[in-house]
Amino acid sequence: MTKRVNRIILVLFSAFIAIFFLANLFIPDREFSPNENRYLQTLPSFSFRSLFSGRFTSDFESYCSDQFAARDWWISLKARLELAQGKGENNGVFLCEGERLIEPFSAPPAAEIRRRAEIVKTFAETANVPVTLALIPTASELYGDILPRGAENDSQAAVIDLVYSVFPGQTADLLASFREHAGEDLFYRTDHHWTSRGAFLAYQTLSEALGYVADDGSACMPEIVSEAFCGTAYSSSGFFWVTPDRMEILRPEPDGLTVERYDAGVPVPSSLYHREMLETKDKYRFFLGGNSPRIVLDTGKADLPSLLIIRDSYSDSFVPFLPEHFSRIHLLDLRYFRNSIQDYIREEGIDRVLVMYSVNNFCSDSNLMLMTQ
Amino acid sequence: MVFSSIVFLFLYLPVVLGVYYIAPVRYRNLWLFLVNLVFYGWGEPVYILLMLFSICVNYFNGRWIARVREENKKKAKAVLALNTAINLGLLLFFKYFDLIAETVSRIPGVSVPTLGLTLPIGISFYTFQTMSYPIDVYRGDAKVQKNFIRFGMFVALFPQLIAGPIVRYKDISDQLGERMGSTEQFARGVERFTVGLAKKVLIANNIGALWDACSSASSLTVAGAWLGALAFSLQLYFDFSGYSDMAIGLGRMLGFEFRENFNYPYISRSVTEFWRRWHISLGTWFRDYLYIPLGGNRRGLPRQLLNILIVWALTGLWHGANWTFLLWGLYYAAFLLLEKVLLLKPLEKVPVLGHIYTLLVAVSGWMIFQLDSLKELWRYWKAMYGFGGAGLINESDLFLGRSYLPVLLVAAIAATPLLKNLYSRISPRIRAVATPVLIALVLVASTAYLVDATYNPFLYFRF
Repeated sequence: MTKRVNRIILVLFSAFIAIFFLANLFIPDREFSPNENRYLQTLPSFSFRSLFSGRFTSDFESYCSDQFAARDWWISLKARLELAQGKGENNGVFLCEGERLIEPFSAPPAAEIRRRAEIVKTFAETANVPVTLALIPTASELYGDILPRGAENDSQAAVIDLVYSVFPGQTADLLASFREHAGEDLFYRTDHHWTSRGAFLAYQTLSEALGYVADDGSACMPEIVSEAFCGTAYSSSGFFWVTPDRMEILRPEPDGLTVERYDAGVPVPSSLYHREMLETKDKYRFFLGGNSPRIVLDTGKADLPSLLIIRDSYSDSFVPFLPEHFSRIHLLDLRYFRNSIQDYIREEGIDRVLVMYSVNNFCSDSNLMLMTQ
Repeated sequence: MVFSSIVFLFLYLPVVLGVYYIAPVRYRNLWLFLVNLVFYGWGEPVYILLMLFSICVNYFNGRWIARVREENKKKAKAVLALNTAINLGLLLFFKYFDLIAETVSRIPGVSVPTLGLTLPIGISFYTFQTMSYPIDVYRGDAKVQKNFIRFGMFVALFPQLIAGPIVRYKDISDQLGERMGSTEQFARGVERFTVGLAKKVLIANNIGALWDACSSASSLTVAGAWLGALAFSLQLYFDFSGYSDMAIGLGRMLGFEFRENFNYPYISRSVTEFWRRWHISLGTWFRDYLYIPLGGNRRGLPRQLLNILIVWALTGLWHGANWTFLLWGLYYAAFLLLEKVLLLKPLEKVPVLGHIYTLLVAVSGWMIFQLDSLKELWRYWKAMYGFGGAGLINESDLFLGRSYLPVLLVAAIAATPLLKNLYSRISPRIRAVATPVLIALVLVASTAYLVDATYNPFLYFRF
């Protein structure tokens, strides 16, 4: 190599590390990464105690990589490099045809599924009111055939079959209905949740079990609320170039409905839809305003039965279809609700219970056992 | 701290190099001495004291030995024995105490509690490196080092502190004074560092995911087991040799020249050759400081075979505090002995057979190295050699094979000297453009992977 080339190499390397050193030093820190949906590490405060416990250095390393200049650009570049190698996925998310992002499902051992099923069974046997169980199959089951051949993707149908075979009460075969309508957009492309159309189909499928006559679709009034929804699969994949999802609702906010959230024990007035959430990254919180230990909807139709839903976040976009069929609808989230469900059913005069979980949450949520306590 | 991390590349390194080259030449060693301690103490600050203790003991004993070795050989020998005992004692205590305690506790009626100490980073590497100094002084192979800063800098030199190469004092003693460095040397350092970074971040980490996927598969087919074993063999090579490349490169940027540590081990035609090409600095160390003092091959064949057995039992255990590592060392001793008395001549006559045999031994051997128990090892070996009962191949193997084909091919080719030879045949004019462009591309791509990764441990980090 000539002297000139050596100098170029020296300057190239030095400039590369120096530029990012300075950029990281001077670019203001971000507190939150909307794309990753988490708080970023900020400059850890120094103390000898944190130094010697090893906390300081590990936090400092997270700080350096979390606050790295143009972080999202680098993450997206890595995603592109993975795809360029023909892997078809990045960080466990596959980029499939039609820009659909799919996270394959990984089932726990059968004994674990059975254990969880037994919890719901015990709950149903001691609830003293009819309990319906609905497990929601998600995109990796419904659109599993567009994953690359041989990609590890466990069957959600098998999980549902196993759980339903143990459960003594009414169950809802959402998978069959979804398969019939698989051509429609039942799930967001960039998020793990179902769309309003998916939720509407579930509402129709559940009519018999929950004892109402469902709308055949003639009452639907579609309204697009956002064209810029980038969901969780989008965030974890790094495929930041895919087209965002469209988010729509099929029901307007009904008159005479009161919604109350009990985030901190006391009721706070709320609503079915939260337009302000559409301005944030996590747009799914548009429905009911996001997770809460307890939400109660009062429809003012006192002669109708009341319903309790043991929920995960899928219920949020499902609830808008229910007000015309029930007097009160209670949503309890076992992740945050810490009182006895049995007591709640008795005290609130609940007529029926719906336990509705996505297969994924049903298999992984460690709070499921709180149902029987 | 590891080299392939954001904090090293974009904070530690710019600061270290910046001050190093701005400061007057006579302060460079002091600066390196200080930043070495920061580098070392990053993971476990308390162990800086251990490092300082180790430096002091070897420094003063080195001087002591130098003072008495002329007139009182016996006394010098006693000091050397004491010094070696302290070094090995520290290694034994910090690395092997729990293993010994657990093993002894299996005897009925005996119970020794384990301590659960964090392993001081690189202790296996720097203990060997430091120990070599008083021995070299005793033997008259090296002059005594009277400058404490220079000696301390040698022991804790960050490029090779945590994963080698193991630098013998006599190889580097004349570089410990004032180093001027040159643009030429710095540029060669950048090239070498970049090669190592690519090996580690772009190949080893990438292919490591394939090993994880294969080894955790619910049903292990023959093809799946081989895919996994090959992936791990390549991962380990690119991880470790990449680290050595980075160390050599960083050394050059600071004006040091270290010896090579790897020389395309997977092209070997015998196990004997493999170990002359894999982790060369460790093999050399054991040869110089154990095998030859034991008598080497000068005391007849039976004694030589015993010596090989001893050296390889210890080489195995050096790699980790688990009896599987002892087994791994003895496994190699067996093949080396077999070659010594029987196979070496016939293997030389049929090179193709030699290649296949060596790869089979090495790849199967890595499974002893990597799997934690004999039970797992047995399961894996059975699967590899067709007794696993899960069939030849399944959809999942095909998918993984297809997904990782490009990186597997690149890795397989890069494990041979082919690319290097081809690159050196390109006309210098083209290389003058290609080299900086390739360096820039590797730096950008590696940065993308490093920013993306929150989990990036070195395989040899804890050894």
